[in-house]
Amino acid sequence: MTIKLTTQAYCKMLLHAAKYPHCAVNGLLVAEKQEKKKDSITTPVLCVDCIPLFHGTLALAPMLEVALTLIDTWCKENKYLIAGYYQANERTKDVRPNQVAEKVASRIAENFNEAAIIMVDNTIFSMGCYEPILAIYDHHENKWNRRDCNVDCFEDWGEAQKITSALLEGRSYESLIDFDNHLDDLRNDWTNPEINKSVLDLC
Amino acid sequence: MASVSEMYDVTWEEMRDKLRKWREENHRNSEQIVDVGEELINEHASKLGDDVWIIYEQVMIAALDCSRDDLAWTCLQELKKQFPGSQRVKRLGGMRLEALEKYEDAGKQYDSILQEDPTNTAARKRKISILKAQGKNSDAIGELNEYLELFVGDQEAWHELSDLYINEHNYGKAAFCLEELMMSNPHNHLYCEQYAEVKYTQGGLENLELSRKYFAQALKLNNRNMRALFGLYMSASHIAASPKVNAAMKKANVKYAAWAANQINRAYQLAGRGTKENKCSVKAVEEMLESMQITMS
Repeated sequence: MTIKLTTQAYCKMLLHAAKYPHCAVNGLLVAEKQEKKKDSITTPVLCVDCIPLFHGTLALAPMLEVALTLIDTWCKENKYLIAGYYQANERTKDVRPNQVAEKVASRIAENFNEAAIIMVDNTIFSMGCYEPILAIYDHHENKWNRRDCNVDCFEDWGEAQKITSALLEGRSYESLIDFDNHLDDLRNDWTNPEINKSVLDLC
Repeated sequence: MASVSEMYDVTWEEMRDKLRKWREENHRNSEQIVDVGEELINEHASKLGDDVWIIYEQVMIAALDCSRDDLAWTCLQELKKQFPGSQRVKRLGGMRLEALEKYEDAGKQYDSILQEDPTNTAARKRKISILKAQGKNSDAIGELNEYLELFVGDQEAWHELSDLYINEHNYGKAAFCLEELMMSNPHNHLYCEQYAEVKYTQGGLENLELSRKYFAQALKLNNRNMRALFGLYMSASHIAASPKVNAAMKKANVKYAAWAANQINRAYQLAGRGTKENKCSVKAVEEMLESMQITMS
């Protein structure tokens, strides 16, 4: 099952990783709920948004459970569902999903069969964003297997590349809010409406 | 490119004071430090007096974080000129080698510091950081344990060790490190709360109860700690829902969870006042708490 990303989802993922270059970061990808189609043609899952979760220590359970439950409730209200999980590891050369990634993704897969893990490839992360820097992992036969990520994984790669690069240069990541920031101060909004607006304005 | 002082309309004294605040509070906002510090050094070095040396050190470390080797090199040269033969400057040289991924050379630099002064804790800790950077977590844990046998009071080291254990999913040992920190800092609500999170992650009824108690303790020390409040709610809910508890315990935990849910709702109401967007998260929290109540009873 292929997964596709919109510019907004890709942007916010990279902004999250850029905001905390010295930490591991993770988050969720949400897609619009679709009616079941009778035909057997599989349409790709379009991830329309991403919710940045934590930075630093990713391997502790309680806040992760709170975040998953809260975001699940929010998704139901907005006719979304949680479709994937992304993670950027602390060390540059470390691109493989670890135990945390697999556990969270399995939990997501309980509600959505085609859940995917998206790892950010730190080795090719740059301001210019000239190539997609993701590695997508699907679950087959009890293992997570890497699939090639190319421009087909994006709704519109040209737009995604341009806008992400512009926001990185403009240091928009300084105002990105993740769930950790929200727990520090409840007024911080993890849906990031202002960054969403910046993305739309640049489209 | 506008200067920092122009963009934010600040004087050089305010910039210097900001740098001191970040230094004292150990912030890792390296990009900001580089922006403010570079301008301060380039335009106002003569006015800073003796402060300039500690600012060079702070800016150099921030520059390494931002891959600004040009700036780091300049700062290092100034410090070398002023303090020839200083071990503190030698350690900064080692950090620069680490940033360039020349780990062997950096290791040699630290070894030479340790030869002159075997009690130099900074050099020993940098050697452990090299292991961590290379992904050799078990080696880093081994070395850090040895270090802590000699330098038992080093809180930064205990916290680093607890983080390393958490990343290796060794929650029992991580809890031990946090216990050391709680003993020497009984009023620190963050250690309490992190200990509670580790116990919760370990799982099992006994650990859940301990976790609830420490979340409660963290709240007592700081009643605005949202993580502690959520943690209290989650742990009490899980205990109440467990088939292994007797009726009395279940009743007590349902009460704790209800109290926590109430406090959470109040906190969200308070935060959501006046903003239209936050109203949706207030609603989401209410619904989440309601749905968990259903699974509990």
